[in-house]
Amino acid sequence: MTSLLRRSSWRYLTAHPAQVGLAILGVALGVAVAVAIDLANASAERAFRLSTESVTGRATHQIVGGPSGVPDSLFANLVTALPTGNQRFLATPVLERWVSTPLSEGRTLRLVGVDLLSEGAFRPHLAALGATGREFDLGPFLTEPGAVALGMETAEELGLEVGDALPVAVDGQLRELQIIAVLEGQEERGSQALGDLILADLATAQETLGSLQRLSRIDLILPSGTDSETLVTGLQRRLPSGIRLLPAETRTNAVAGMLDAFQLNLRALSLLAMVCGTFLVYNTISFSVVQRRELLGRLRVLGVRRREVFRLVLGEAAIIGCIGAVIGILLGIVLGSGLVHLVTQTINDLYFQLTVRRLVLAPTVLLEGLLLGVGASIVAALVPAREAAATAPRQALQRSALEGKLRRQLPRTVIFGIGLIAFGALLLWPAGSVLLAFGGVFLLLLGFAVLTPAAVIALMRAARPLAYRLFGLLGSMAARGVTASLSRTAVAIAALTIAVSVTVGMGVMIDSFRHTLVRWLGHTLAADIYVSPTRPGSPGAAGAPLQPEVAERIAALAGVDRVNTLRSVVLDTDSGPLRLSAADLDERGRDSFDFRYGERNEVWQQMAQGAVMISEPFAYRRGLAVGDQLRLPTDAGPRSFPVAGVYYDYGSDQGVVLMERPTYDRWFDDRGFSALAVFVQPGTDVDSVLAGVRRVAGPRQQLIARSNREIRQLSLEIFDRTFAITDVLRLLAGAVAFLGVLGALMALQLERGREIGVLRANGLTPRQVWKLVTGETTLMGLASGLLSLPVGWVLAMVMIEIVNRRSFGWTLQVTLSPSIFLQAVLLALVAAVLAGLFPAHRLAATSPATALRQD
Amino acid sequence: MVLESVDAELQRGELVVLLGKSGSGKSTLLNLLAGIDQPDSGTVEIFGTDLTTLNEEHRTLFRRDHVGFVFQFFNLLPTLTVAENLLLPLELKGTVDAQSRERALDLLQEVGLADRADAFPDRLSGGEQQRVAVARALAHDPYLVLADEPTGNLDRETSHEVLELLDRLTRRAGKTMIMVTHSHEVVGLADRIVSIRSGRLVEQPLSPQRPVGSSSLAALRSHRS
Repeated sequence: MTSLLRRSSWRYLTAHPAQVGLAILGVALGVAVAVAIDLANASAERAFRLSTESVTGRATHQIVGGPSGVPDSLFANLVTALPTGNQRFLATPVLERWVSTPLSEGRTLRLVGVDLLSEGAFRPHLAALGATGREFDLGPFLTEPGAVALGMETAEELGLEVGDALPVAVDGQLRELQIIAVLEGQEERGSQALGDLILADLATAQETLGSLQRLSRIDLILPSGTDSETLVTGLQRRLPSGIRLLPAETRTNAVAGMLDAFQLNLRALSLLAMVCGTFLVYNTISFSVVQRRELLGRLRVLGVRRREVFRLVLGEAAIIGCIGAVIGILLGIVLGSGLVHLVTQTINDLYFQLTVRRLVLAPTVLLEGLLLGVGASIVAALVPAREAAATAPRQALQRSALEGKLRRQLPRTVIFGIGLIAFGALLLWPAGSVLLAFGGVFLLLLGFAVLTPAAVIALMRAARPLAYRLFGLLGSMAARGVTASLSRTAVAIAALTIAVSVTVGMGVMIDSFRHTLVRWLGHTLAADIYVSPTRPGSPGAAGAPLQPEVAERIAALAGVDRVNTLRSVVLDTDSGPLRLSAADLDERGRDSFDFRYGERNEVWQQMAQGAVMISEPFAYRRGLAVGDQLRLPTDAGPRSFPVAGVYYDYGSDQGVVLMERPTYDRWFDDRGFSALAVFVQPGTDVDSVLAGVRRVAGPRQQLIARSNREIRQLSLEIFDRTFAITDVLRLLAGAVAFLGVLGALMALQLERGREIGVLRANGLTPRQVWKLVTGETTLMGLASGLLSLPVGWVLAMVMIEIVNRRSFGWTLQVTLSPSIFLQAVLLALVAAVLAGLFPAHRLAATSPATALRQD
Repeated sequence: MVLESVDAELQRGELVVLLGKSGSGKSTLLNLLAGIDQPDSGTVEIFGTDLTTLNEEHRTLFRRDHVGFVFQFFNLLPTLTVAENLLLPLELKGTVDAQSRERALDLLQEVGLADRADAFPDRLSGGEQQRVAVARALAHDPYLVLADEPTGNLDRETSHEVLELLDRLTRRAGKTMIMVTHSHEVVGLADRIVSIRSGRLVEQPLSPQRPVGSSSLAALRSHRS
């Protein structure tokens, strides 16, 4: 392409700042949302990796045990058994636990006890701190009771200095630690890794955590190569039953993998705004082509080749995409720092403890944003660019010719749309991946968008007589106007329809989810009061036990009818952490379970004989069905349990395995309780019993006691918080769709100057012009609103039945509330009318003389 | 079918005037000669190149290299300045160098618009725009100049100026020019006159008053005076 062609192109773009500006804004918002979500995801993941790395260090393998960990004598045995002289592997003991601090509500810290003598090779960043720190004196660290070191950032956030006391709550009991050093990371990475750590000597940690002679695990560095395999087999043979040797990355990857479905869902949703932005670019470019039909014809006469015209138009789209993407990336960084908190909050609510201090500006994410913006713009411009290249020299491509062509192609378009929908449905059909399901969803949306022109024609044909009866000739003209420039209006209607139907789809899905959750909570929370040492559902603190003495006292309280107990532990398995619950249930407790698969009485019978039941997500994740065998690592070595039933559970998307307490006691060497479900005697005031529970526990153990109602409320709060980010994303997609309608209407207005001039010359008043244009936009909004209902409903069904099930394994009961559908129509209507106000005003204000001169 | 049987041979340096009613197929013939359209049968050969054997791409390349166009409605590119409009054919041809640039600007000088080089077309009068269009049609030194009613949209005085330019810059430079016109006054300039009647090309006798030898435009002037 010659520089003059480029210059001509550039001058055209700069001469239409409003059109081009809107398209750039559309791309920018689309890219911004995608980049923001990706950055938030990447930051969360990086924070997770760093904090895991800081604890796992260079360990290649780990020795882990059951719920109560590993006896520290095992480490001593290993060390004495180490091949001396030619030291073939390294080992170091670790004890870690999440603790909370009353200094900061909701903040949890990772107390890690290490043996500094054998530590060096494992976590050099910690060992180096010990070795180089001038203020860091090893003596007191090893000898002073409760001596710990804290990361600088954490210390600053908590307002602590060296010499201060750091109170922490361990399993609901307050302990006091002494800060003897504040550690400064060597580099950014180091200081971030130190983030949540409270570093202590192993003995101090054991004492503080009440885990005398226990370890969380033993970290190992084994040589790589074939030596390693023989060493692993040798070591495994030497380990007592219930203790296992696992590769270090198993756990890290499995934990990080928990987020996959969640992050994928966010990502897919984040692309929505870009889809709307693509429509906007399409609209702008196709308008620029139609408007320049003569100019392009002249160029062709002068000998500009088809492919040069094609490249010219694509080049313009690329410029719009480039500028939009750059602005979008900058916006995305700003938006990302806001969203990262929402993402982290959800991860903390649902998965595990994570503190994300800063947004990581991953270069790949920024590059992806650029490619996304430019790529989407170029894709959007392909069709108009082809149109432009097909322009015959001197032949003016009239709007009417274009519309005629579109009409002629309508049957083919409809077939293509149906084809896209069919292909999308095909992707949804097999039990494929979530990614495929999202591919299917996008194809469905695209298919519906392609069907929009045909649907608009049908709707307007139906609307015209009504509009005539209501508003006379102007009404009829408005309906006709929408179809007369279908190539433009249909794109705007399609963009708005998609944005609104996603609102309907997500709305129905969230509504159904919420109703399902409410019903499930109502059924499951059979007891009146729940007591546990940690926040219910707090993922990092599954093992925290209730003191037996406290449990006994609560059971003996006046007004308490019965108490059911629950033990909840996390087992390290070859495929990652697994949550196991052991329940001591009576009839009412059993009734609170609802089964997806398995007959109630049979399930409980088998449970009494040592079987397990699994939650729906767990069954989905592991591909397990009733009658299958589930292999679990018990304290007596690995053992298979028959699966008696699959029950509904919406508490965790990772899933839970449940067994009866006697079964648990038989296979696990652990007598603790994690939670109590207290049934109050009929007629007794729940609040007074609740007060009694708090009074009994108070001096002995800090417990969280909540009434049934409070837990229900809290669960719904977490639910709503989880979907807060969805609202932000939907809002942004809606904003882009709004820009699309505005852009389309402004382009139409530019094109219709002459037509309106003729109407004005024939006596149409400015007010009537205003009414005509507003009538058209109202009809466009109405069309979008109505079309979005079936599309939204299909989307909702796909989200509920396929995406949600494949992502999380949950069955949701569909709830269709009419208000969501009504809101959708209103939303589309209001968006279109608002977007039409400015163009209507401009057209009404045009003098007929100026408008007529335009041609 | 507009044109049925068109059989004609043109010589280098000839000015051929093409007459015919509206819709008779004059523009179609020009389009065939420019390689914009293709005939259903027969050949279009220009200086040894048979356009009917070329595909769209190559016809476009041929046009950009060897054909200049002047239209009734000027058809300048509104997004380029006067000078840029002139340089575009050269750029397309890929022959922009200091020399050709200078030649293009000389052309601008010749059409009397050197001082408007940086203006955009919408700042120029109709006559000025057509003078730029003439310069643009010749900037890349084509064999063949096709003019489709170049004075159709101009007043009498301006028409003369433009015709004088075309005559001076085209015929005397040895280029073949085919001009579609309704104006019988222009006819006096022609070396040959052909008209299209019922899709056929009919050679017409030259005007008897046409003076021979001297500058045709001077002759036109004297003819008119």
